[in-house]
Amino acid sequence: MDATTPAVRLDGVSKQFGDSYAVHHLDLDIDAGHFFSLLGPSGCGKTTSLRMIGGFTDPTEGSVVLSGEDVTGRPPNRRNVNTVFQSYALFDHLSVTDNVGFGLKRKGVAKAEIRQRVGEMLELVQLDGLADRRPRTLSGGQRQRVALARALVNRPAVLLLDEPLAALDLKLRRQMQVELKQIQREVGITFVFVTHDQDEALTMSDRIAVMNEGRIEQCGTPEDIYEHPASRFVASFMGTSNLMSGTYRDGEVALEQGPALPVGTRSGISDGTAVSVSVRPEKIWLSDFEPGMSKLRGQLRETVYSGPTTTYLIELAPGVTLSVLEQNTDRARMEDRWSGGETVEFGWRPEHCLVLA
Amino acid sequence: MTMVKLPAATAPARPAATSRTRRGRADRKPRILIAVTALFFALLYLPIAVVALYSFNSKKSLTVFGGFSLRWYRAFAHDDVIIASLGTSLRISLVATAGSVVLGVALALGLVRCRTRLGSLAGLVMLVPLITPEIVTGVASMLLFKGLGIALSTGTVMLAEITFSISYVTVILRSRVAALNPEVEEAAMDLGATRWQAVRLVTLPALLPAVLASAVLIFALVFDDFVLAYFTTGVDPQPLSVRIYSAIRFGVQPTINAVGTLMLAGSIALIALALFIPRLFGRRGGLDILSGE
Repeated sequence: MDATTPAVRLDGVSKQFGDSYAVHHLDLDIDAGHFFSLLGPSGCGKTTSLRMIGGFTDPTEGSVVLSGEDVTGRPPNRRNVNTVFQSYALFDHLSVTDNVGFGLKRKGVAKAEIRQRVGEMLELVQLDGLADRRPRTLSGGQRQRVALARALVNRPAVLLLDEPLAALDLKLRRQMQVELKQIQREVGITFVFVTHDQDEALTMSDRIAVMNEGRIEQCGTPEDIYEHPASRFVASFMGTSNLMSGTYRDGEVALEQGPALPVGTRSGISDGTAVSVSVRPEKIWLSDFEPGMSKLRGQLRETVYSGPTTTYLIELAPGVTLSVLEQNTDRARMEDRWSGGETVEFGWRPEHCLVLA
Repeated sequence: MTMVKLPAATAPARPAATSRTRRGRADRKPRILIAVTALFFALLYLPIAVVALYSFNSKKSLTVFGGFSLRWYRAFAHDDVIIASLGTSLRISLVATAGSVVLGVALALGLVRCRTRLGSLAGLVMLVPLITPEIVTGVASMLLFKGLGIALSTGTVMLAEITFSISYVTVILRSRVAALNPEVEEAAMDLGATRWQAVRLVTLPALLPAVLASAVLIFALVFDDFVLAYFTTGVDPQPLSVRIYSAIRFGVQPTINAVGTLMLAGSIALIALALFIPRLFGRRGGLDILSGE
């Protein structure tokens, strides 16, 4: 296997249940050593895709290739991948040590080596004090670590993670996101991470594939996906996007109702095309405008204070309300500057305006 | 003004008084319920208590207690026919328990996981033995063995008992199997276990409390069983229940009381064991023997 062989390749993979496709003709390469996320709403086919890589579900079409080897139709126990399940799926009748050592024991690794590797792994996930406990007596976060250790100790070529953080509370989830990323860097194993949480995917991934209705909408770096969404779906799924519909003409998009938005000249979009326009809330300015910015006016409808940031809802035209996010620095906050219902000026750089045909 | 105020001031006192008497009445234990409950237990256990008492009778009489003695236990110990029957019953119970637990667990796993129409039909048909009158089952079994030219023996009792105990095991295990997290077995396979190893190393240990509980129940049911045993047994040492029935036809011997009391003691021990099983697995609360939970 040379360096360019992807760790995982899905080649025209489909999964049909009856008449409907859970996964539709998926082509996907995942590079070795990457933290790769499959992101999408529930029912988008991300978990089915993961299960086909793991061998728990057989594709109805196409092939699954792991490190250059076609493993389609091979059972999970004969694939060099391991899974962290959403429910953790720990063995309640075994101690933490025996849970983590389960895979090595099945492979016939010598007892002394099992003990050593399990010990190291428990240290890596900070569970060394709980080796003799039963999973049932552990907290959610601890159980999650056992599941991770149990999979990682086998040194798989690819680690599959099926929404492993979904059951944790927000604070613990944030902490585990950072830790998972650190562990991934430390062990250098390819992680394929399934999640419906766009923040989680953005924070942790080297690359993200956004899925919808069994297909990949876009695959790229977190920045690519967030800053340059390729479709309306990706734009709206990745955070607040202020999507507006209109018609493109001469570097402007005329909204159905309301003003024309200057978006800059776009090659590849012909005049008269119906388009969606999106400007991220943090890309809209409310003061200190710079030359070259598009400036517009609207009615301030709502001010939502949330600690570090404040969100302003500004009505640009009837039925078109934009979300504007400002950092709460020591600059004067908008609610001190304006009261509700007042007309305010705002602006953005034309290049921050996404035009999706 | 004062005229208006007075009733308002006295009014709260009256409801307080009535509510106190009402609460007092509710607090009193309803004697009728206690009496009915006591009567129920008396009717249930008095005959059994009489059997246990008269097993220690020094006289042969079944109506007059002549003092404490172990005479009938000694008689039992020297009655080779009864001892041989006890051995037969124990052997039948052990074999039937082992056979029906293995097959019943397998059937429960199959029924839960087979989601086809044929599977749910099998799940329904499986319940039929539970509601079939046992005498029908007994006669049918006997006719089957005769029709196949199989001589009735201890072996035929075992076969019949296994067949009709599978349903009980399956009913107990089914809900437990359905409650298992399917990801746990997948996790075992993910970690290198074959399908069979996953069942053996992960699924069966998770089911063990329910499996043991159903084993205890089946053992007790088979050991007690008379009807099925009566129709399918041969002449080699007959099961204890059949032997006791035959003996009673020639007049009741007090030895029977001793045998009955020993069987009762055995049953109590088994039930205690069944209740103790969950503690072995570190579970809180008791185990419902019928659901295995």
